[in-house]
Amino acid sequence: MSSTHPEVPGEPTKTGTAFLETATATIQSFAPINQIHQHLCAFHFYSYDMTRQVEAHHYCAHQNEEMRQCLIYDSPDADARLIGLEYVISEPLFLTLPDDEKRLWHSHEYEVKSGLLFMPGVPGPIERQDMEKLAKTYGKVFHFWQVDRKDNLPLGIPQVMMAFTRDGQIYEDLVKDVEDRYGISVAKERENRAYISGSTHGIHPLANGGGKGLKTELREVDCKAPDSVPRVFV
Amino acid sequence: MASSDKSPSALATDGEPRPPGQPMTVEQHVIDKGSQILQSLKPVKKMSQHACTFASYSHDMTRHIETHHYITRLNQDFLQCAVYDTDHAHGCLIGIEYIISDRIFEDLPPDEQKLWHSHAYEIKSGLWVNPRVPGIIEKPELENLVKTYGKFWCTWQVDRGDKLPLGAPALMMSPQPVNLGQVSPELLHARDRKYNISTEALRASRVEFPEPEWINPQADYWKQHGKGFAIDIKLTDMILRAPFP
Repeated sequence: MSSTHPEVPGEPTKTGTAFLETATATIQSFAPINQIHQHLCAFHFYSYDMTRQVEAHHYCAHQNEEMRQCLIYDSPDADARLIGLEYVISEPLFLTLPDDEKRLWHSHEYEVKSGLLFMPGVPGPIERQDMEKLAKTYGKVFHFWQVDRKDNLPLGIPQVMMAFTRDGQIYEDLVKDVEDRYGISVAKERENRAYISGSTHGIHPLANGGGKGLKTELREVDCKAPDSVPRVFV
Repeated sequence: MASSDKSPSALATDGEPRPPGQPMTVEQHVIDKGSQILQSLKPVKKMSQHACTFASYSHDMTRHIETHHYITRLNQDFLQCAVYDTDHAHGCLIGIEYIISDRIFEDLPPDEQKLWHSHAYEIKSGLWVNPRVPGIIEKPELENLVKTYGKFWCTWQVDRGDKLPLGAPALMMSPQPVNLGQVSPELLHARDRKYNISTEALRASRVEFPEPEWINPQADYWKQHGKGFAIDIKLTDMILRAPFP
């Protein structure tokens, strides 16, 4: 009953701990998690470095018709590492964002139409119904664990990630690896999706960093002195 | 261009829901149901614990929030948590926290350690609870967690009224037994009323939990150094391998 992880440092889970977690998993309510109904496989790159590309498994829940929130894992396996998250919003919601905020979001049109974004295990006709909607959306992704540089722990600061926007950007062998594993053909799916249209107003010029890279930096700020706040209970 | 400690320009009025948007269509429900049946969703099914606790913003320790952690254990020394603002079905995904044992923490470089916070006070004081789990069951797990450190990035600042996740991720810190690190009584009582529990009673029942022998002074950086951290996002030239966008 013990489990360990091949790449994360630490002792295997003790039997007692695993048993306890079986109990909590049974007794407790997981309402927000139970809303996660979809698995999407896609690819991201670091927003300041297109040469660093990552396969990203999204587990998504709808907040409403126009907004999804997704947990991102590095694989679809039970011991997958939680490496980031993505928010997905409709074009109308995107257009309400302040201009500086728009730059942090990326368009999904190319990912969908190229066939790179897919839902493992879901037949094409059903998948395409969702792809028609996703093609018009924008996403905001942060990764906290840089598994591509072989970090065995989530070190450093959050990274803004981007999605691919045209042919020639993604590494061919990254795609081939996924095609082989899932028995799919991205090129074939691209043909099937030729009919899908993108956003009504076209891809916004400020999306996708406005064409620039985005880098995160850590800055120290002064704290109020601990005793400057009156003592309260607890 | 964006900073975790600066409020973005006003976005939506107070009357709007969080997030705004049309209700899910029947068509979307059907697609959702289909994928739920056909797909395995394994990593999500591995979540085994729900914990309710509190955190504050590293760049502004006066802002405390109630958090709901949905936790997966990868091994005896490492846990990963999806963090929400409530335990309701429509809870907002507000961030991610990673939890590591003291053993793993001590091996981190000091610059990394300063991004982490300790859990000893949070647990012993009764702030961290596992709703619906009897004390006797949660006890061994809490005794483990007392010695751990966490790293929590918040990507949706719901407490400042954001209707959508705006800006840069914010580093979060844990409650501590000094004034700036203490959760307001109102926030605490609201949580206790919701679950019909008493944090004070929990504190009494956890008095016997072993304290860690020491807490690394790089953790809870604000306590010893009087400094918090903010994240800035800046425009830069992208390293390319093909034209963009």
